[in-house]
Amino acid sequence: MLLENQPKTVMLDEAGYLVHFEDWSEDVARMLAAREGIPELTPERLNMLRFIRDYYKAYDFFPIVRSICRNVSEPKDCVQEKFINALIAWKIAGLPHPEEPLVSLLEAGQSPG
Amino acid sequence: MAKLPKPEELAKVDYTPPKTSWMDTPVVIKEGMFCHGAKTKSLQTLGFPNARDWRPMDADWKLPENWKEILLNGIADRLKKYRSFQLFMDICVRCGACADKCHFFIGTGDPKNMPVLRAELIRSVYRKEFTLAGKIFGKMAGARELTLDVLKEWWYYFFQCTECRRCSVFCPYGIDQAEITIIGRELLNELGLNIDWIAGPASACYMKGNHLGLEPHTIVGNLEYMLDDIETITGKRIKPTFNRKGAEILFVTPSGDLFADPGTYTAMGYLMLFEELGLDYTWSTYASEGGNFGFFTTNELAKRLNSKIYNEAKRLGVKWILGGECGHMWRVLSQYMDTWNGPADFLEVPKSPITGTVFDHAKSMKMIHVAEFTADLIKNNKLKLDPKRNDHLTVTWHDSCNTARGMGLLEEPRYVLKSVVNNFHEMPEDTIREKTFCCGSGSGLNASEDMDLRMKGGFPRANAVKFVHEHHGVNMLANVCAIDRASLKPLMDYWVPGVGVCGLHELVANALVMTGEKERTTDLRGEPLPSAQAKEEKA
Repeated sequence: MLLENQPKTVMLDEAGYLVHFEDWSEDVARMLAAREGIPELTPERLNMLRFIRDYYKAYDFFPIVRSICRNVSEPKDCVQEKFINALIAWKIAGLPHPEEPLVSLLEAGQSPG
Repeated sequence: MAKLPKPEELAKVDYTPPKTSWMDTPVVIKEGMFCHGAKTKSLQTLGFPNARDWRPMDADWKLPENWKEILLNGIADRLKKYRSFQLFMDICVRCGACADKCHFFIGTGDPKNMPVLRAELIRSVYRKEFTLAGKIFGKMAGARELTLDVLKEWWYYFFQCTECRRCSVFCPYGIDQAEITIIGRELLNELGLNIDWIAGPASACYMKGNHLGLEPHTIVGNLEYMLDDIETITGKRIKPTFNRKGAEILFVTPSGDLFADPGTYTAMGYLMLFEELGLDYTWSTYASEGGNFGFFTTNELAKRLNSKIYNEAKRLGVKWILGGECGHMWRVLSQYMDTWNGPADFLEVPKSPITGTVFDHAKSMKMIHVAEFTADLIKNNKLKLDPKRNDHLTVTWHDSCNTARGMGLLEEPRYVLKSVVNNFHEMPEDTIREKTFCCGSGSGLNASEDMDLRMKGGFPRANAVKFVHEHHGVNMLANVCAIDRASLKPLMDYWVPGVGVCGLHELVANALVMTGEKERTTDLRGEPLPSAQAKEEKA
């Protein structure tokens, strides 16, 4: 899958995750956000996305959800409030497609119904 | 993921058996009732046979041509190797005492989820190929050919058993259905028929030491974030050590506690308790997984993955090992580790440095469960506890199958729980202790694509929680298992909204009065404490 209308065309996998971590930019993030039904990337949202990317770069892993809010000085359920859930936040931040156990672990936090 | 039906729909279970006899009722593989097939990458990493991508809904499972021969040889090998397997194949009289004891039968009404019939799936082939009566009388003697349909039936139903062993409690012969499922899955594994929710974490564990694939700097980083939270709540900065040679105790816990809520609150609980005790212990970024998904593939892989616990204890030169809150981890540890990877003669019999208690029952294994350790501390009056801090919670206790039924850990967690909370209510008698109902997601079935199965299998457990929720206002389901902490949450949201899920040591740490701590205003989750709320209202 390709994300068009960019200065550079970027590649997404079948679930809509960025294939190359370095392809990310704020413009790409806006396109990814729109695909997930998040209309606007406010400064707070962008701040969170930058933290998520920095964390991933430092630890080669997805951040603990609570740590995101604490580190951008937002209330503790900021991820759900601003991005519906952590998986969507990671996706818009350009993180790679998480392995299934992680997806299940995070989905366990929500009602499956 | 297929959309789940509403709870009132899922609760309508039809117990009418099909008109045809079970051998003549072919398996129908239904969406929502199974997990994705194991991926090439996962199987290759583990060195398992027939690594390829495959889908259970496809007619072609891409099996090796001689699949039947492989399976029959596999059965023959195991009959020789495990006397229990031979016994369980021969002695069942089909009395049916187990039939309605399985949470999957109660939740689905599918006769092939009766433990007796699930075992019969493999027993029928055993009779045909390995007994004289079966060879001569065939179907009349309960024997049948191993066909592709039979193989698919095995796969479907051996991954609809959580190896919880509730049925075994009621079996007059004590047949361990879990062992039959374990062997059934081992046989399937020889054809590459594993599920990815098991093979994926197992391969991550093989490569990086834990199911989530957390690398050493990530483990440290994640714990640092928890330490920040602890500092906010208590005013105390804790500095745990990692991979420290010469520590007295090695601490090993499931990796789920290092990443996802509510397990992270349990991990914060351990950190706070050990800090308050001044315990001479170390975390390990090598033995960074207590759980063992290898146990759901083959005994051989379980042994391989387990070996790092003793190896690390030896390398670090600790005296004994303390284990965190996990379920199947303890089945493997207490029943297999010593014979698989022992003897751990380089370790000492666990002795609490705080109370002097010697844990004689772990003389051979050299490892004890943190609930035993904490119960002993409380019994000897070594902790200052303020259970009022948990007054916003009305708690019930879920006995995790492997710790309760598997290793008899019934009293210790209850003793701890009653010391740290004021409001505790047991679920009905037939649903707790050794008769506890499974969460419905154990033994590697806690994926997201089999939610129908999980909600059906968890129905009896949820029903018992609903009873105490309605009669006593229970709003928290405590347990000592990482899979429970991850899987009971959606189960509660689905069947009993308003009930949360937590680990035992989260509640311990809420109540624990730490030396030099600031006045607490919130619990570990950042929720205001009842006492703080009352003060605010007064002001």
